[in-house]
Amino acid sequence: MITIHNLKKQYKDAVVLDIPTLEIPKAECFGLVGNNGAGKTTLFRIILDLVRATEGQVSLEGEDVSKSEAWKYKVGAYLDEHMLLSYLTADEYFETLRKIYNLSEEDLEHHLSKFEELFNDEIRGKKKYLRDLSKGNTKKVGIAAAMLGNPEVVMLDEPFENLDPSSQVRLKKLILQEKALSQVTFLISSHDLNHVTDLCDRIVLLEKGKVIKDLVDKGSMVEELNRYFGT
Amino acid sequence: MIQLIKLELLKTMRSTAFAKSVLVAIFLGFLAILLLSYLLMLGIFLKDVLEKGFNFPDAYEAVSAHLIYFFLFEFMYRYFTQKLPVIELERFLHLPIKKSKIINFLLARSFVSPLSVIALLIFTPFAFTEVMPRFGEAAGWSWILTILFTSWSLHWLMLWFKQKFEDSITGLVVIFAVLLLGIGSSYYGWFNVGELMKPIFDWSLISFIPVAVMAIVCLALYRVAFSFYYQHAYLEDLAEEEEVKFANAGFGVFDRFGLAGEFANLEWKLIIRHKKSRTYLMLAGFFLLYGLIFYTNPIYQTEDGFSHMFIFVGVFITSIFMLQYGQLFLSWNSANFDFFLIKRNGVEALVKGKYLLFVAISVLSFLASVPYVYFGLDILLIHIATFLFNMGVVIHLVVYLSLWKPKPMDLNKGAMFNYEGVGIAQFLMMLPIFLGPYAVYLPFALLISQYAGLVALAVTGLAGIVASRYLTSLPIKKILENRYQISSAFRQEL
Repeated sequence: MITIHNLKKQYKDAVVLDIPTLEIPKAECFGLVGNNGAGKTTLFRIILDLVRATEGQVSLEGEDVSKSEAWKYKVGAYLDEHMLLSYLTADEYFETLRKIYNLSEEDLEHHLSKFEELFNDEIRGKKKYLRDLSKGNTKKVGIAAAMLGNPEVVMLDEPFENLDPSSQVRLKKLILQEKALSQVTFLISSHDLNHVTDLCDRIVLLEKGKVIKDLVDKGSMVEELNRYFGT
Repeated sequence: MIQLIKLELLKTMRSTAFAKSVLVAIFLGFLAILLLSYLLMLGIFLKDVLEKGFNFPDAYEAVSAHLIYFFLFEFMYRYFTQKLPVIELERFLHLPIKKSKIINFLLARSFVSPLSVIALLIFTPFAFTEVMPRFGEAAGWSWILTILFTSWSLHWLMLWFKQKFEDSITGLVVIFAVLLLGIGSSYYGWFNVGELMKPIFDWSLISFIPVAVMAIVCLALYRVAFSFYYQHAYLEDLAEEEEVKFANAGFGVFDRFGLAGEFANLEWKLIIRHKKSRTYLMLAGFFLLYGLIFYTNPIYQTEDGFSHMFIFVGVFITSIFMLQYGQLFLSWNSANFDFFLIKRNGVEALVKGKYLLFVAISVLSFLASVPYVYFGLDILLIHIATFLFNMGVVIHLVVYLSLWKPKPMDLNKGAMFNYEGVGIAQFLMMLPIFLGPYAVYLPFALLISQYAGLVALAVTGLAGIVASRYLTSLPIKKILENRYQISSAFRQEL
């Protein structure tokens, strides 16, 4: 699905990302972990063509992301508030996305019904702009928006951050459900080792821009990560 | 206290707007000094200007009779430009400093502003050149102090008034009433506020009571402002969550333009839901009245034809919103630019949506300006020609030039004297925009006739409109080419 080839990102002398090769197959749940400044968000941004790669390229089903735009229909992402329209209410925002993705009202309703439990009656039907929502609720809107429009790839940066414990569990359930039902490829970065190891079949550990571990064995994953992070 | 002042200085030095464009800061500082020195010059020569320039027999009488207009005007410019100290409050509230101390500091800080010295600069020299020689030194001091305390009373009044009523209907009504009071008395002669208020200033020549009264008023208003801010020094009061307004507002016609239309509607929501853009919209409304100043002014009346100046007025009236809003083209979306980037054809639709919106608002402005035909058919012709020129040429100039290093900005701050997002480009781009129409108009107007000039403007505009598909593709291409820089600049990473 996603192929990274010779990718390098450099700010002046500082190399912040250096990934010779990385292949993320379709329907995989790909977890990305690493300490602050390891390059997780930068990698996500390069995949989304928001940041220019100094060298190398990212391709999505063979299509170089920096060369075309067709892939944008297949990818949903929520990295930060820059991806929201903060001056809309949640309902208006979903309605706008519905029009952008050419969905019917039923499609949207069906999609949002999956999030009912996660939203906990605090998102829809509220006369509140997104900029006035709490951090956790903003995140929920972003995640629901990223998964809208039947994307083939969903990228979430720190989805569990700022969510209350029950919401974290609900979100996890939701992602697992989605994984079981469809062939969505998930890319999730997280500091929460328990959640990310529960969700993902594969975890890549970044350190200073380099892939230092590529773990696929569910059994030893947690232990190995705990050893690295000293937790 | 000293620590607070130090922090304040550091904040100014390190603010993104200042640090990132020293050139703009220097330019603005220079401009401010220039303007203030003009005021001082005006003050020094006020006596001569009035007696020789305007043939007033008695300069003192003239000034005192018009002082109230000055204060009405001061009320207006203070309303539009004075900054409120509340935003700062948030940063200090959690610290172990007494609330009263913080508020006293912020109020005092707000007083350090060019607005506080305007009255001083204009009227002090006049007090020395005119009032003192005629009425004696004591009278001069008493007179000038009365004026200064009045002006400074307005400062404290405004701090309270703006915080309480800005953006509300009440605020607008009061502003409108003040405007009406000024215009009503001077233009239409319903009553003469100037003459009504003059005795107060005359009284100050022979008595210190007016000074004392105004000083007390000034202090009292300071207390009002202080206790208002003191009582409202809570986060919930400072940054009130806005009620969702205009929930389904939008231009129905835009729906026919697909994604671009959808984004035009979004942009419209953005405009009406942010303070800064709302102010721009309101200004566009005010500028529609601009013609009243020029078209009726005897200076610009000519024997035949019309003043060349009117081209400029026409461009302004039919496109002021586009000129102002368009200057910061992408900066309006700086908080959510990534949203558009990760959508397929998002940038293209965003730009086209903005074009749609500009055209729609310009059409509305043009239609609203049609009644100016009352001042002559020429005016209507000028508006048609400049409108077409705006739609075909100026619009593209504005958009293309605005893409020179767009900067992020916070839309929730007021618009006046808020130079966030403004770089040197925004100043430079005004040149081609103002000179452009004349470059087309003048050769024809001078060589053939003024109407030929208008035809030239209209034809150039129509040509631009015909070529608009190509012309709009240029900025889209430019944005896509620079998308990485723009996106990271908007995320404030540079």
